[in-house]
Formats: sequence, C-alpha cells, structure tokens
Amino acid sequence: MLALYLAQIVNSGLALGAVYGVMALGFSLIFSASRLINFAQGELLLLGGLTIMSLASVMRLPPAAALLAAAAAGFVLGRALFSTTLGLTLRASPLRQLMLTVAASLVFQGVAILCWGKNPLMPPRLLPLPDLRLGLFFLGRDTVTALALALATVVVLGLFLGRTRLGRALRATSQNAVAARLQGVDTVFCHALSFALAGALASLAALAVGPQTGLRYDMGLGLGLKGFAAATIGGYTSLGRVFAGGIVLGLAEAAMVLTISGEFKETAIYILVILLLVVAPREHDERP
Amino acid sequence: MTMPRNLSLGLFFAALAVVGLVTPGFQLLAVNQHLFLAVNVLALNFCLGLGGQISLAQAAFAGLGAYGSVLLHDRFPEATLVIVPAVVLGTGLLAAMLSRPMERLGEGFLAMATLCVSLVFTNLVLTLESVTGGSAGHMANARLALPLLGSLSGDRATFFCFAGLLALGSYIFLALRDSRLGRALAACRGDAQAASSLGVDRAAVRSLSFGLGGGLSAAAGVIHGHYTGFISPEQYHLELSLKALLFLVIGGPGNLLRPILAALVLETAMSWLSVLGDARTLVNGLLLGAALLVGYWRASR
Repeated sequence: MLALYLAQIVNSGLALGAVYGVMALGFSLIFSASRLINFAQGELLLLGGLTIMSLASVMRLPPAAALLAAAAAGFVLGRALFSTTLGLTLRASPLRQLMLTVAASLVFQGVAILCWGKNPLMPPRLLPLPDLRLGLFFLGRDTVTALALALATVVVLGLFLGRTRLGRALRATSQNAVAARLQGVDTVFCHALSFALAGALASLAALAVGPQTGLRYDMGLGLGLKGFAAATIGGYTSLGRVFAGGIVLGLAEAAMVLTISGEFKETAIYILVILLLVVAPREHDERP
Repeated sequence: MTMPRNLSLGLFFAALAVVGLVTPGFQLLAVNQHLFLAVNVLALNFCLGLGGQISLAQAAFAGLGAYGSVLLHDRFPEATLVIVPAVVLGTGLLAAMLSRPMERLGEGFLAMATLCVSLVFTNLVLTLESVTGGSAGHMANARLALPLLGSLSGDRATFFCFAGLLALGSYIFLALRDSRLGRALAACRGDAQAASSLGVDRAAVRSLSFGLGGGLSAAAGVIHGHYTGFISPEQYHLELSLKALLFLVIGGPGNLLRPILAALVLETAMSWLSVLGDARTLVNGLLLGAALLVGYWRASR
C-alpha cells in the first residue's frame, strides 16, 4: 500500500516537477540577465501552447516539427514581450518594468480569451512516448514526456550557455552588465535574448503540461508562481539547481496532495517561499 | 508653498462630498467599490511612497479586516466600538511584524514574498471552511453600529465612511511625510545603505509605515465587508493588490492625490468597459500598459 502511494507520488510529482523546472529556468534566465521578475511567464506558456494546438489542428505535426514549432513560437512571443515591456523602458525604475510585465500578462490573457475562448482546451499529444515501468515505479506517458522534454531542454540550454560565444555573452551580462558592455557585449541584445529563450522554454513546457491539465486562459499566474517558487528553491544561478528546485517542488506538492490535502498544499508552498526568500542570503538582491 | 497643496486637497474632498450628496443611491454602489480601492491605494502609498517598499499583501490585510470584523460581529453584535479598533490594530501589528524580516529583500523579491502573503490568506480562508465558509463565502448579517450614530448601513453612509477614512489616511500620510520619521523613511527609500550608516533603524521605521498601511487596508476591509453583506475570498484576492499597485505606480508613489485620482478615474473608465464583453481583459491590459508607458515617457522628458 505504502509502495503504491510512493509510486503515485513519484509519478505525478515528476510530471509536475519537470514542468515547474522548465518554467523556473525561464524565470532565472530573465532574472539573471535583467534583474526583472517576469510576471507574464505563465502567459508565455499559455499562448505558446495554444498556438501549437491550433497549428496541429490544421496540419500534421511530427514530433520533431512540433518541438521546432513550439520553440520558434515561444521565441517570437518572448521577443515580443521584451520589445513591449523592458525594451521600451530600459531606464525606468524596476517597479515600473515589473508592472509592465503585469500589464503584458493581462494583454496576453486577453488575446487568449478572444482567439481561443474561455473554455479549457485539450491539446493533442504531439510527442508520443510510451509508459515506462522501472521496477516498483511506474511512469505514465505524460510523466515520461515531461521528463524527457525537460531533461533535453536542460542539456541543450546548458550547452548553449556554456559552450557558445553568445551563451557566454549572456552569462557575462548576468554576472556584471557594465563589465560585459565594456568588453563589447551588446547587453540589450542579451536582455532580449533572455526573454526570447524564456519564451521558447515556456512554449516547450506547454507541450508537456497541455495534455496533462488542458490549457485555460487563467492558468498562467498559477504556473508562473510555481516556476518562481521553484527558481527560489534552486537559487537562480545554477542551471542544474534551478531545475532540481522544480523537481523538488513537484514531488513535495504531489506528496502533500496525497498525505494532507489539496488546499493546504498551496498554503504550505507559499509559506515555504516566504521563508526561503527571507532566510536565504543573496548577493543579487539589489540591482547593480 | 503648502497653500496650493492644501487647496487641491480641499477641492478634492469637497468634490468628493458633492459626489456623495448628489449621486443617486444605487449608483453609489459602484462608486463605493472604487473608493474601497482608492483607500487601498493610499494604504499602499504608506509602504511604497514613504518607505519605498513594494507590497502585494494589501488584499490580505483588507481581507483580514473584513473577515475579522464580520466573524467577530457574528459573536458579539453590539461590540463595534471594541471590535473595529482591535481588528485594525491587530492587522496593523501583524503587517508590521511581517515586514520586519522582509525589510532587506530587493524590490522583486519583496513583491513576490508579499504576493505569497496574499495567496496564503486566500488559501487559509479556503481551507478553514468551517469558520470562514470557504469558497462559498460568508453572510455578513451584523451591521457596524456606533453608540450615538446608530447603525452604519446603506450606500450613502458607507460612502462617507470611506471618504472619512480617505481623509484620515491622507492627514496621517501628510503628517508622517513631513515629520522626522518621514524623512527617515525618505532616506531609506532614496538609499538604504546610506540611511543605515546615518543611524536610521531601517527595519523599525519601515515596519511602522508597513503597519500603518496594513491597518488602513484593514479599516477599508472592515467597512467593505459589512457593506457588501457577503464576504468571499474573491473579493480580497490578489487582483485587489495588483490593481492598487498599478494605480499607485501610474499616479506616482509618494504623491498623495494623483494615485487616488488615477484609481477613481481609471477604475470608473474600466467599469464602463464591461460592455466590451470578452475583449475587456485585453483592453484593461492595454490601458494599464499605456498609462505606465505615458508616465515613464513624461518623467524621462
């Protein structure tokens, strides 16, 4: 009985956690590059997922094409978010920039309502992966899809940030924007790139989360917050740790749903985030 | 120097009084909702405008005021004089205590931490169903009653309660801003490290402004909760905090009248937009984004 419980927790926890992890990576990318917390992260996932769903309904999308299309759609959406928020107000107070992403999240939501309606939509499974049984543990196909997608994303992103010239420029910008500019890095381009990459990550996450829970116009804030919570647990700076933060959050959530209650779990998670924010020492608190 | 400010304040409250006297009762229903928001904007102005601390917890404080007062009035219907000050003071103290450990967080993280406070409140109300009624809400049957004035109910009485609260809040805001404490807060806002090195106890002065803001929100919540006759978690949801912050940023934190006017005018405009149906969210977002950008371009020119 206990083993069954445990297997259930692992299965649903990993499915959620992988999505949270990818969202958290997007959060951390934007935060590291621009010291901005992006409120519209969840809406990027929503619009990316809906776009791919509509595309899949008019043409046949093989898995590779679906991945490419999702990444491209998210990239464009993220870039558009940058040019309507931070790109316009590079010198504004951080608070105004933050509020602009809130306004952008409303606009994105409004577009989703107008184009796709208010009813939850169930996107098709574009990445057909089989169920997996590992001894005691059983991973459903949604979990396998989410995990595979997330791990592949982490690896590709890690290679990009670590091995390419552009990735190094992005990292330099996030460590010290002034010094990076002095070395000839176009920091504004790097800010834009971080937004676009975050959009691509969110869109890819939509491929995993869509078939699990469906897509609805008001799902953005909740998912975005969980991504933020995961990024906070992971500490924003290391790719692996931020992703692990997502997995931990997903597992903790699944465990609480089965052991305590669904409503209490939210309270517990948000209290945990407050405690983490207050207790964890952080050098990047203030904007340089 | 102070004359024009007093004049504009006087004009504003005179206009408000005229609106309260002339507007037919049923239309005051909408106006009162806007005033509730305006008081919350002013409350947030204590944290952000004076102390330079962002807060998205205003909805939680208003909700605590509403739920605290309504639930206590269910038990002791005659004790308004005790309950209201206790609830307002209690919420203010809680806000001050919450703000102390959060003081050293940067802007974005403070926003997220206080946002979590709002969500914790909502989820607690949902979880404690036996006390609060959960998502179904709770009927607020008891009215606020004062010894000489009798029971405070109806649209017009509530309007003047909110207007009075707004006036009281404005008075405290101005008095605080021009005091020694207000200058200490301004120092924290301008340069936190310089303020510390000049001997300002940042956590203490900022928790005071945070607590005052929390108390004011709670007072607004008390009036609102008894007025609507029905309290539910949706009324004191995160959206209220976000709206208050948006209008404050649009009006400029630290200004007294402009954010309140922004809240009243834009909120009225947005309530007319309900004819747009499904396009409302989109237009809301565009309107707010435009207001933010216009403010930025005007300030940078």
